[in-house]
Amino acid sequence: MNLKTEVLIIGGGATGAGIARDLSLRRIPSLLIEKGDFLSGASGRNHGLLHSGGRYVVSDPEAARECIAENRILRKIAPHCIEETEGLFVSLPEDGLDFRDRFIQACEETTLPARLLSRDETLSLEPGLNPDLLSAVKVPDGAIDPFELVLANVKDAEAHGARCLLHTEITSLLVDGDRVKTVLAKDLLHGEEYLIEAAYIINATGAWADQLLKLAGLRTAMALSKGSMLITNQRLTHRVVNRCRPPSDGDIIVPNHTVSILGTTSIPLEDAENFEVTHREVSLLIRETSKMLPAIEETRFIRAYAGIRPLFQSGEKGDDRAISRGFVLIDHEKRDGIRNLITITGGKLVTYRLMAEKTSDLLCRKMGIDVSCTTHLNTLPGAEKPSGLKDRLKPLGKVEALCDCELVRREEVEEVLREGKLKDLQDILHRTRLAKGTCQGGFCVYRLLGMLNELGLTEGNPNKILKGFLEERWKGIRPVLWESAVKEEELIEGIYKGIFNL
Amino acid sequence: MHYDLIIIGMGLSGLMAAKTAAEAGRKVLIVGKGMGCLTLFSNTIDVLGKIPETTRLRDGLSQWIQDHPEHPYSKVGLTRIEEGLSSFTSLFYPPYIFQTIGDGNCFIPTGAGTMRPTYLIPDTMVAGASGKEKKGLIVGFKGFRDFYAGYVAGPLNWRGIALPLPETPGQEISATALSRWMEKESFRKTIGQEIKKNLSGETCVGVPAILGINDPIKVKMDLEEKIGVGVFEIPTLPPSIPGMRIFNRFKEWLIRRGVNFLSGYSISKASLKGKRCEGVYIHHPPVSSFYSADRLILATGRFIGGGLVAGRERISDPIFNLPVRQPGSQEEWFGKSFFDEHPIHRMGILTDSSLRPIDETGEPILENVRVAGTILSGHHCVNEKSREGIEIATGYWAAKKAMEQ
Repeated sequence: MNLKTEVLIIGGGATGAGIARDLSLRRIPSLLIEKGDFLSGASGRNHGLLHSGGRYVVSDPEAARECIAENRILRKIAPHCIEETEGLFVSLPEDGLDFRDRFIQACEETTLPARLLSRDETLSLEPGLNPDLLSAVKVPDGAIDPFELVLANVKDAEAHGARCLLHTEITSLLVDGDRVKTVLAKDLLHGEEYLIEAAYIINATGAWADQLLKLAGLRTAMALSKGSMLITNQRLTHRVVNRCRPPSDGDIIVPNHTVSILGTTSIPLEDAENFEVTHREVSLLIRETSKMLPAIEETRFIRAYAGIRPLFQSGEKGDDRAISRGFVLIDHEKRDGIRNLITITGGKLVTYRLMAEKTSDLLCRKMGIDVSCTTHLNTLPGAEKPSGLKDRLKPLGKVEALCDCELVRREEVEEVLREGKLKDLQDILHRTRLAKGTCQGGFCVYRLLGMLNELGLTEGNPNKILKGFLEERWKGIRPVLWESAVKEEELIEGIYKGIFNL
Repeated sequence: MHYDLIIIGMGLSGLMAAKTAAEAGRKVLIVGKGMGCLTLFSNTIDVLGKIPETTRLRDGLSQWIQDHPEHPYSKVGLTRIEEGLSSFTSLFYPPYIFQTIGDGNCFIPTGAGTMRPTYLIPDTMVAGASGKEKKGLIVGFKGFRDFYAGYVAGPLNWRGIALPLPETPGQEISATALSRWMEKESFRKTIGQEIKKNLSGETCVGVPAILGINDPIKVKMDLEEKIGVGVFEIPTLPPSIPGMRIFNRFKEWLIRRGVNFLSGYSISKASLKGKRCEGVYIHHPPVSSFYSADRLILATGRFIGGGLVAGRERISDPIFNLPVRQPGSQEEWFGKSFFDEHPIHRMGILTDSSLRPIDETGEPILENVRVAGTILSGHHCVNEKSREGIEIATGYWAAKKAMEQ
């Protein structure tokens, strides 16, 4: 099948979705292609922190300024995706106060609102923190739901004419002279092949940026770094808790809905597809974060996961339009003589909008048109309805809850199904809170498959899907199986290997 | 309060031990925190589902015993395993009895549309057993989250329908609620009529295992009369109603035989003197009382039952702190694939052939304590499909050996 578009965006993470929205508001037609579901890469595998910029004020003031500005914008345009928790930078006795003093000074210089709290003030806000702490600095960190944020961007982009193709992989970029002339893509689930003609192509594939460029015979000097995180089965603090010291492993605890996320590690990686959280990382994260919050030693974990950060070698930046050390925007016309190709990668979830703005600005210059960005002025769909637990806590009454951990109602799933375009199990799990609770889908995925069967939406043997899901689930829980989690696992194994003989 | 035998744990192994000792006229106390895993996993009696389909169970077991000297079955021995199984079946009288199909394993359909091997099945499952060649209608109920007729029927090439429920007076539609409704004639009448309307040439009807708790045969026969074809139960997600029936039958029998049946209580401490256990402190909140005994049986199950506790790096037995055979650190407990045979499941309490706990050198640690059930090391009951067989055989044998003492 042949497809034509003005701009082809490759990658359905926060950046790609942000660009689709930005262009659509500038009335530039685009087609977004993603090989998995939205947020399959780092956008869906981070700790959901709305950076205040505090983490970077000392080491990278420019990145910190970007965070401060974007943090303010996101609070305005996406209030429904954000929980304004505040954040603390906690100093422990072994950290001393030198870094803290530099931190406070850097906050002043970058206009990051920060307030020094005494030990007692800190403990009255977060009584679970290590009582030996020296002090804490309060900053406007928050929690952000990457799924809601990205899907709201997509919704807005589609409402303004953008199109998206999921589960579709780019198979070749055919270069003719100074431009990429045709793009070939393949639907990974149904096998259909597409020949795409696009005037401009934007590579927003994050950790896969280099892999994609190789299809056009190009390279970037890029390294991959794995960051691992652990999810607790309950929310441990109300605020984001950071360690007040230079960035390091296991220095952050982020509250997220009903859970907390402990992060992170940084380990060089070769392969963007195959990686796991190691025993050593799990021990390190628990050891380090429990210094700030001792209860972590006794807490039950429900999952471990990792995301990949694309890191750029420093040589790359001088050559190109590096806006900041936080992200990299490459005009391949300047670098490689390919006029219609742009690569955007690196950065952070919080700066996705800025990255999209700068990319779209570059594109407009190349197209020779002058339209300004408005993504910082218009709120995202759903913003009119502020987020909160209230909605989810309404009485269930006589309805069927597919998931008891997260109280996901059958109707809710049916609504997601009605919105359509869902191609596999993961698509449904991404759009609901199914499988995100304590049992990690041990019960509800069987129920979901049963329900899909009742609705006539499954083909073939659902047990293949069920087994695939159980293997996927296993990757996340295997690193954190001890104490009560082992009981749950005994139950799940007894059901699927025992009663169901899968 | 002094007993000949105290049994800790109310799963199938503890219940079997209590029955065996009570039959010998001993003064028995059985104490447990809950109903054990009977109501989770046990729908039928697995003995050794892993052996080839056409092998006689007796031959399969004796080969298994030869090949696996560390397995609980090898400690008990073939004859006693069979004695244990007969003792179990003798507890049930017609019409609700447990039976075999032929002399090997039979295959029954499950809530995931698979067929699973098992050995003894209750009368309510017989019509579905080894029924691949039959043409069945699977009936589920709208709003019941633990069974999906189409899901079950699909892989078996049968037909599945979900019936609307006539009465759900503000209650959650659970297996236990359905079982209670099934015990009402009016409910069965409506359901039976609906099923009959939906039959198109099928020669049997499969329903989730919810045909009543107290008198499943009456429920089944009445439904069959209303529908006109055979009805059978299909095991699905916990809770297991057939497991509940087993528990209730044991409980009724043991209490009638004068066994002190202390359900809902946990052990706060064991009193040890040298190589003997003199008794246990049972916690009756807020106080604990001492119960002394000549001998004891530990039948507390694995992790769910509370018999084994997994710390961050070490697994232990919280009551006697007996040595638990374990490989390395947490990293080595589980395989890379969910479907691997995880090393953690082979861990458990080491015993001699008379089921006394031993240390690494083979010396008995406690002379008057025996260990029974899945807490024992050396088996992989989920993969072997041997859970109930191990529980029955070791519960029976532990009590026999304890009484010899």
